[in-house]
Amino acid sequence: MCPRVNSRAQSALSRREVLRAGGALAATGAGLLAVPPAAAAAAGPFAHGVASGDPLPTGVLLWTRVTPAAEALPGSGAGPEVSVRWEVALDEAFTRIVRRGTVATGPARDHTVKADVTGLAPGTWYWYRFRLGGAVSPTGRTRTAPATGSALARLRFGVVSCSNWQAGHFSAYRHLAERDDLDLVVHLGDYLYEYAPGGYQAGEVLVRPHDPPVEMTTLEHYRRRHAQYKTDPDLRALHARVPFVVTWDDHESANDAWSGGAENHTEPAEGTWAGRRAASQQAYAEWMPVRYEPGGRLYRRIAFGALAELSMLDLRTYRSRQAAHPLDPVISDPARTITGSEQLGWLTAGLVTSGAQWKLVGNPVMIAPVRFPSTLSTRELEALSQLTGPLEGVPVNVDQWDGYTADRARVLGALRDHGVRDTVFLTGDIHSAWAAELPADPLTYPLTRDSVGTELVCTSVTSDNIDDILGVPPRTASVGVEAAIRVANPHLKYVELDSHGYSVVEVTPAAVQMDWFALADRTDPASAARHNASFVVRAGTQRVQRTGEPLR
Amino acid sequence: MTEYSRRRFLRVATGTGAAVVLSAAAGTAPAAAAPQGPRVYVLVVDGLRPDEIGPVLTPTLLRLREAGTHFPAARSLPVTETIPNHVMMMTGVRPDRSGVPANSVYDRAEGAVRTLDRPADLRGATLLDRLAATGRTTGSVLSKEYLYGIFGERASVRWEPFPIVPVSGHAPDLATADALIAMVDESDPDLVFCNLGDVDRVGHTDLTGTTLRAARSAALWATDLVVGRFVRHLRDTGRWASSVLIVLADHSMDWSLPHRTISLRSTMEGDPLLERRVAIAQNGGADLLTFTGPDAERAEAVARMRRLALATDGVLSAHEPGQLRLGPEAGDLVVYCRAGWRFTDPQVWSNPIPGNHGHPATAPIPFFVTGGHPAVTPGTSSAPARTVDVAPTVGALFGLPEPDGGYDGTARLAPVPASPR
Repeated sequence: MCPRVNSRAQSALSRREVLRAGGALAATGAGLLAVPPAAAAAAGPFAHGVASGDPLPTGVLLWTRVTPAAEALPGSGAGPEVSVRWEVALDEAFTRIVRRGTVATGPARDHTVKADVTGLAPGTWYWYRFRLGGAVSPTGRTRTAPATGSALARLRFGVVSCSNWQAGHFSAYRHLAERDDLDLVVHLGDYLYEYAPGGYQAGEVLVRPHDPPVEMTTLEHYRRRHAQYKTDPDLRALHARVPFVVTWDDHESANDAWSGGAENHTEPAEGTWAGRRAASQQAYAEWMPVRYEPGGRLYRRIAFGALAELSMLDLRTYRSRQAAHPLDPVISDPARTITGSEQLGWLTAGLVTSGAQWKLVGNPVMIAPVRFPSTLSTRELEALSQLTGPLEGVPVNVDQWDGYTADRARVLGALRDHGVRDTVFLTGDIHSAWAAELPADPLTYPLTRDSVGTELVCTSVTSDNIDDILGVPPRTASVGVEAAIRVANPHLKYVELDSHGYSVVEVTPAAVQMDWFALADRTDPASAARHNASFVVRAGTQRVQRTGEPLR
Repeated sequence: MTEYSRRRFLRVATGTGAAVVLSAAAGTAPAAAAPQGPRVYVLVVDGLRPDEIGPVLTPTLLRLREAGTHFPAARSLPVTETIPNHVMMMTGVRPDRSGVPANSVYDRAEGAVRTLDRPADLRGATLLDRLAATGRTTGSVLSKEYLYGIFGERASVRWEPFPIVPVSGHAPDLATADALIAMVDESDPDLVFCNLGDVDRVGHTDLTGTTLRAARSAALWATDLVVGRFVRHLRDTGRWASSVLIVLADHSMDWSLPHRTISLRSTMEGDPLLERRVAIAQNGGADLLTFTGPDAERAEAVARMRRLALATDGVLSAHEPGQLRLGPEAGDLVVYCRAGWRFTDPQVWSNPIPGNHGHPATAPIPFFVTGGHPAVTPGTSSAPARTVDVAPTVGALFGLPEPDGGYDGTARLAPVPASPR
């Protein structure tokens, strides 16, 4: 969902911003579309780096994009058909190559390359690279998942979401890439944003403009935008360092997307929603290291031995239209869905019959109920509503599971009815940090603290949150808002509405812990990051607990 | 099976001043001065939920858990009731092999619903008799009358629960612990199988179960003290270094509000094919349905029973017994309720108690292997420990061969090494 950037005030601001920022930009208008993106051609045929994803015990997906000729620019549809070779080795020097192969690509898939490598050993680090003619790509490192059902002492991964190019630099990715302890990175969506320059940025500051400089609506736009993000050095470094497991949220297509449209989609001016969504999904399949092809199923499950499994959800493709407002009675209509019935059945059946101890759910939008306190000022409520969706005084963000309470009751009911333990939802979307318990019954929760699972929410890599929207220094106005939210929601144990950054999660048989790290300044490409908070979920408890000890 | 009639009675004085009467197979030797091999104590805290172990109410259990191997993914097995899970612990086989699928079944031969509390109900051998046959001493200290009933005289030394609390049919934990300590002092068994019934019995009747759990909390605290007394006794008598304690529950507990009840009897009576031809064995959160009409109509009858059950408010699922590895004793259809509900059959007033188990919500259990023996290592394991794993675990500690047909469970001894890769 993410911030409501298309409110009237915001749009006016955006227009002013565009006019102020670039007379040239405004004057050139649509002609800008023809200008090649800055980083592409000069860096050789592998300008967009290498990546890997969706590790299995004996395989992993490798990704790159080649620029075989000067005209083969992302989104151009131009350039030759080529064969790209890949190699996988047990060492960084490639003295022990264990697998190699060839993949054909061309303009039909925007010269992106995906190789689904099989026949690897479980729980093993590998190095990989691509070759096109005499050119060799940068080297990437990846890791297979542990053997099926095997005991595993530890799994550690980065968790990120909401990385808006225009709002800042991806220092969060750099800090994750510099760590030596991660098995993978989970990206929970809003990996890129659809807006034109001025449409949505760092408060009123446009840190770096999107390419193409329009709201992306066509296949060419989506491809170019993906290509631009993949020129970011920090993102490239992280992709080359560890495998990613990704899902999309709305901004990979358009704000507040649902199965039949999106808040930020206007027909017929921006084409049909079916056409726009197909374009976004095709570009996503081409440009992301994910085992997904257009028309296929993005939701999937990845296992890490007997220790954990990770169910990645797609909460955009099948969902019913969002309710008009939080008091709209349709939020509890059992005919409405956020998952679609097939995905819901897949999710609950998987949770109930799982052979893994920890059931992790990669969940693009928050599932814990959030009731907003009535004590906040109008200004605070407005800022919150930009972060979470319309609220008009009371309870819920209707783009989250709060707007689809029947589906939530089905999921939490399945956990409770079947005595499923150790389910942890890992969530993004809301540009702020939360740790929550999931009440079995909200009425008796304050007495019993009976919880059926937990939720840990990472903040945004760069996208605006409360202090940005209010235009105040961090840890000032937000502190009171956070306290009020916690009073109104006893199951929410941690709320931090100001910081940008990343999370690191460790899973062991004894506990799951999330550490939140905050950037000093998202607009500084060299920003430092510091540990902000840590919460632990001890095995069997379904409870979150603050801990003073960050992971070592 | 050995001849049980040749037995002797031992009257043992206890630290609390009560006298405990144990019965023993003839020829069972009294305790030797210093224990030799491991001493294994399987302590079942009946009905304990894993999330009830904590520093305030159950500090002893928490300390024991932290000192041993903890299995947070542990679960009870269908039907999550006391008798079948105790039988699984001691046999290492599932109910389709032991003949004991639930507390209460419809006995086709007798044409009546009854409790499985007779020695002949349990097919095959248990650890208590298999280990005794190797010359070792085994003991049973079971607080519930029906457990004493089904395990009968299989152990070499037995305590018959006394005094019995009326209605609940169990001996209080204070008395059970007296008996346990007396038995260890008197006979020093290699294996003792002990059931502590208070937490379960009080849980069943706790009218504040859905909210405050006042009585339940008091029972947790008291039972923890009793466990602490036993541990202290092991330490004081020099036994700790040779002791392995397997601490677990047979099932957990779920509380329902008075209006959240399901009576399948009335539902079935409305169908002409099923009218007066369905016997229901009520097991709290699970109903076992048996069609008593002719075999030729059974398939159609079961299909209707399933359809009617699944259309009933509060019903979670319906299963062929074989699907749950239950044998023919379980009848034709097993119906589970959802969390926060209970069955009350045959009559709507048959089950007035708020705390129940038998349904999947009550499957999570505490399970840890602890003690002073070198085989015990501290740590946490993701392994899916089950009640049926107790026998193979104990068997492995004693080097006992597997029973005929092998175990259905897995030995659970060492955790994953604590150090990261």
